[in-house]
Amino acid sequence: MSPDLLWTPVRTLALAGVFQAAGAAFFLLLFGPWLARAGPPIRRLGRYAALTGLLLLAAQQWLQGARMADGYEGLFDPALQRLAWGGSGGRAALLQIFGLALLVCGLARAGRAAAGAASSGALIAACAFALTGHTSDHAQRALLAPMLCVHLVLVSFWFGALLPLAICSRHEARSDAVALLRGFSGVAGWLVPAIGVAGLAMALILVPAPSGWRAAYGLLLLAKLGAFALLLLPAAWNRWCAVPAMAASDARTVPMALRRSIAIEYLLMIAVLAITAVMTGFYSP
Amino acid sequence: MHRFPALALLILGLWSLKAQAHAHLIQATPADGGVLTQAPPSFTLLFNEPARLTALSIQKDGEEPQKIGGLAAAASARWVIAAPKLTPGSYTLSYRVVSDDSHIMSGNVKFRLREP
Repeated sequence: MSPDLLWTPVRTLALAGVFQAAGAAFFLLLFGPWLARAGPPIRRLGRYAALTGLLLLAAQQWLQGARMADGYEGLFDPALQRLAWGGSGGRAALLQIFGLALLVCGLARAGRAAAGAASSGALIAACAFALTGHTSDHAQRALLAPMLCVHLVLVSFWFGALLPLAICSRHEARSDAVALLRGFSGVAGWLVPAIGVAGLAMALILVPAPSGWRAAYGLLLLAKLGAFALLLLPAAWNRWCAVPAMAASDARTVPMALRRSIAIEYLLMIAVLAITAVMTGFYSP
Repeated sequence: MHRFPALALLILGLWSLKAQAHAHLIQATPADGGVLTQAPPSFTLLFNEPARLTALSIQKDGEEPQKIGGLAAAASARWVIAAPKLTPGSYTLSYRVVSDDSHIMSGNVKFRLREP
């Protein structure tokens, strides 16, 4: 297996780990006071996701040496490892590792100060992606960087809230779970479209010429936009069908259809992260 | 609690002061698709900006790729690398460069060496 082929799933899962951990911290910051019993398992999820993301970020950066050498000898080449860790990608990864470590410490306990530390770590881990890559060298960087940060924080919030919502629906009383799901839907109803708007605006700045959309980078961007549109279907179904049905029902358990819909949404997001890994790792606008 | 996010933003801001860039190949000798009658003494790769050449290999059709070592550590926009002894056939010269922003760009140049 070539280093490029191994790097892709490692990068995809590192992205998932970072967004999951950051999203769990943001979820606790927003909905922490609503949680009666789900707080500890969501904090545990955030910690495990952060530790996994931290290890995968380190592995991904180590593998960069092998990608540079086009062979695994690059893993043990001090010059290439210096290049991998000393460049902007390496510095961004180190900053993310610091952010995730702060997040782990913050999620180790309950309370507002701990939630503040965890969400700061989440903010650092999510936004550090903007320090490297295609937006970082662009002439419109002053416009792109804040847009990318907003995009990243909102993606973290959306992606990272799905498992906490599933945990809430399992641990909280049904009426509280319904209130949480409604609360999340209310916030997400405003924030999720902003992900698409920010993403589309960045795409139009990065790929201004129509010919760019026929190249590999442009096609992957289109695939991302298509997958995002597809993602809105289960999200809309959850909001307008599953949650009202759950509220109206007197069943004690969460409907299987809702869990399945959340699982589909989660898997689609992982697919979007895989497209992002390939697009940002191998191609240029 | 509000001090924490402000501190996080400050750390990110300070870390992002340096803008980065990407490198693209603008010219190669032998040229892509070129047909030569004499084996080239060297390969020349010209990029739009300084980049670090981290891997270079040459592969003759139907044979294993051969890595070309001795690459310099510093970044440069123009790379001239001594070519190994080539016999007539079709070749693919594959390269990997690292831009300032750590982006790894790979590409290849195909050429054919004819009998003189």
